Amino acid sequence: MAEKLLIEDHIRKNKLDTVIICTLMALLFLGVVFAFGYIFFGNIYIALLFGIPIAIAYVAVTYSFSVKTVLSAAKARPANPHVREEKIFMYKVEEMALAAGLPTPKTYVQDSDNINAFATGKKPEDAVICVTTGALRKLDKDELEGVMGHEMSHILNRDILIATVTIAVVGTIALIAEILFYSMFWGGAGRGRGRNEGNAILIAIAILFVILAPIFSRLTYLAISRRREYLADSNGAYLTRNPEGLAKALEKIKNDHPSGKPKGSKTVAPLYIANPFKSQSLNSIWSTHPPVDERIKRLRSM
Amino acid sequence: MDPIWWIIILVVILVVFFLLIYWGFYNKIIRTENRIDNSWAQIDVQLRRRADLIPNLMEAVKGYMKHERTVLENVTKARAALMKAKTPQENIDADNMLTGALKTLFAVAENYPDLKANQNFLQLQDELTHTEDKIAYSRQHFNDSVLSYNNTIETFPGNIFARRMGKKTREMLQIPEAAREVPKVKF
Repeated sequence: MAEKLLIEDHIRKNKLDTVIICTLMALLFLGVVFAFGYIFFGNIYIALLFGIPIAIAYVAVTYSFSVKTVLSAAKARPANPHVREEKIFMYKVEEMALAAGLPTPKTYVQDSDNINAFATGKKPEDAVICVTTGALRKLDKDELEGVMGHEMSHILNRDILIATVTIAVVGTIALIAEILFYSMFWGGAGRGRGRNEGNAILIAIAILFVILAPIFSRLTYLAISRRREYLADSNGAYLTRNPEGLAKALEKIKNDHPSGKPKGSKTVAPLYIANPFKSQSLNSIWSTHPPVDERIKRLRSM
Repeated sequence: MDPIWWIIILVVILVVFFLLIYWGFYNKIIRTENRIDNSWAQIDVQLRRRADLIPNLMEAVKGYMKHERTVLENVTKARAALMKAKTPQENIDADNMLTGALKTLFAVAENYPDLKANQNFLQLQDELTHTEDKIAYSRQHFNDSVLSYNNTIETFPGNIFARRMGKKTREMLQIPEAAREVPKVKF
């Protein structure tokens, strides 16, 4: 029982961290819209009137195309129940869905020598879990189960939604910043400044803020992404009641030297259980995933 | 404005606030209760599925394991118990018996290379192991659901609403020690 509570504590802490980071992101977004309005029109409400609908439309469009985009970018195909390995993968997905109390996701396979997996889907009802054939070949049952538990947790935690929304917000912040750069270059900014001549310092601060915002928002997004990975690790361990399975799978991923280049595009990299493109041990604020060693350490401490 | 109006407004706000909390807890209690029932239904489906697979397995091994009467009989007996079981706990106990009997059967099957090479047997073995895992995970989800339900209706302020709704704590499914042991195989 003590072990279980420990995992639940991990989950609670991770959730809290995500809430804090998401709030930061929302404040950043509002800040940018306000600053933009202040510089451009001397009036924050006009900007709000445009900024919020643009952001929402952008999120909606990205969101509604997400599953198809991801699956075709990864060149995934539906799992074949007549191949024993793929049948066992389907079994494991079904078992994890039962453990999580979710409908069984669709199963897809990516032909690749890498060990990797990802989950996508707007809501649990149309979720998809995809693994590489390398993972099916190299991982044993417990390890595969650990990976499936991790992916099922992404679905359970609505991580796809969070990822899509944060990516869209980051994109919108960058867009606003860009518009501002262009307009300043052409001397278009400051139309509304007549009324605010005494506030030159305030305007300078606003400009600086808009310049720095895209960088901050990107970093915040990456921090969220890493948090979600830890959360999915601990949640997944809670589903399988066996943190060691996933820990061993991550170890195999770390020590694996696949032949051939990873398939698919870089944009889907944050979705995978481990980043297929970058060197794994790199602990950088620019990485989408936490370092594998740290993840293994946390799993083993549960 | 008359101070009496302020008091009325305050009372209305308090009542609305209370109703909102009640609404939230009412829904939460009903939702978690439904989740428990649904996860039991899931276990039940898996148990039936497993019982249905046994005759096929018996058919597949019959020709090979003629001299393993007791092993086969134990499986049949456990299946009969499972078919008769009524309460959730009876179901789980019978299922544990079946799990033990099947483990012995699969362990003994290791001695029959012909049987192990049989595609049909392999498929049945995979599927039975899978059903067993599914039962284990459904049971885990059932107990998780019971835990969160009990937590809701036993902690403050949920306990007040639960008492009003006449809700009582539910029992978790017990897994006997014996089921966790690896069955001994005698030759």
